[in-house]
Amino acid sequence: MSEVQSQEKRDKVSPVVQGFMNEVASSPRGEGILYCYQCGRCSGGCPVSRIVSKHNPRRLMEKIILGFKDEVLSTDLPWYCLSCFTCVDRCPQGADVGEVMFAIRNIAVSQGNVPKGLVEQARNLLSSGQVVPLTHLAIEKRRKLGLPKIEFAPPEVVQNLLKKTRLGKLA
Amino acid sequence: MKYSFYIGCLIPAMEPGYESITRKVLPSLGLELEDIKGANCCAPFSIQSLDYYGWLVLAARNICLAEKMGHDMLAICDDCFESFTAANELLKKDKEARDKVNALLSDIGEEFKGLIEVKHVLEVLHEDIDLIKMNLRNPLDKLRVAAHPGCHLVRPKAIHQRIRLGFDVMDDLVTAIGAKAIDYPQKDMCCGGPLRGVNDEISRRISREKLKALKAAGVDCVATVCPFCFRQLDLGQVEVKRYFKEDYSLPVTHYMELLGKAIGLKFTESELADHKVPVERILG
Repeated sequence: MSEVQSQEKRDKVSPVVQGFMNEVASSPRGEGILYCYQCGRCSGGCPVSRIVSKHNPRRLMEKIILGFKDEVLSTDLPWYCLSCFTCVDRCPQGADVGEVMFAIRNIAVSQGNVPKGLVEQARNLLSSGQVVPLTHLAIEKRRKLGLPKIEFAPPEVVQNLLKKTRLGKLA
Repeated sequence: MKYSFYIGCLIPAMEPGYESITRKVLPSLGLELEDIKGANCCAPFSIQSLDYYGWLVLAARNICLAEKMGHDMLAICDDCFESFTAANELLKKDKEARDKVNALLSDIGEEFKGLIEVKHVLEVLHEDIDLIKMNLRNPLDKLRVAAHPGCHLVRPKAIHQRIRLGFDVMDDLVTAIGAKAIDYPQKDMCCGGPLRGVNDEISRRISREKLKALKAAGVDCVATVCPFCFRQLDLGQVEVKRYFKEDYSLPVTHYMELLGKAIGLKFTESELADHKVPVERILG
């Protein structure tokens, strides 16, 4: 989503969805949302927040609690998270902000909102079984170093494993 | 001690030098590595962001392979370590998740049994730190090293509670090889790597902040234990120079390389070829 679109979306008033907080709380990794009392320690330690003030973990938690479902799930802000877990360590309540971020991203993906870069990673994963594929150049470098030949899982096994999951249906 | 060795995908593809050195250093300390054959992606944080059960089955399949080998799993990457540790702990405790995951695994004839532990190489080395002291042939006297353990090794604390992991562990290991472990304010700060491919601008602004702090600490080199952090801080300096016109010229090493040198190993040119910032005066 472009900068302009994000700004426009933020300027619109997002409808409040009752029960969104509970939806997040009952999603895997989202349970912590119920404990947030908006102290802001998470934002205080967030490295991204220092650089991009619009990425504000406390504010994102607030929007979940208040029910701004559409806004939370459609902007790229949850994707600016480093998953560094600084917030998880700092939170006095065990609200696990960094974990809730995973829950939000999972829900966003289930609604079709995925950053382009990650769609590509998912495609690599499903076609080769790895996120970083082994190129011919790498194989040659390995041979020169006398390293053993790497045996990755056959892609069909990975595809078979993932076929019933959301990840398998993504790419 | 024998370990089921998980090599991941970034290291074999982009940091074969690190792999080569690891395969020499660990056995010379008596740590035997048996490769997990046919392993798949560990499902790092980026994949975890896409799908919960996708993460769990990918991680679990690798754990199953290690379980069948009968040894604890050894990871030399923070992201692999984080994915497997979190999945392993979760699946051991949460029966509902385990049943769901095993139902998916049964499609490929596997079953998670919760028989092994997942260890990061730093943890394994620290548990037997005397091995290093006994094999120390070339103490790295006067070398000022800034340790960068990386987020997924030391956080969240709750996951790593059972493992005594923290910044002290890495500093202990730096001291054990005769070097000086230098503290610095941003030691627990992320390298910015996870935003690669999602928002490169933020990613490089974070690595720049981290590199600034490392430079200000007045060290000879940085030590990393994650190939992703390594790449972000080493190759990342090329980018920081281009975008911010700041030249740090700060050697970034894998801790494994410093350890190798300290126990008397000599590296080939190809083994050090992954480095963008020259490291000859540290590792030569």
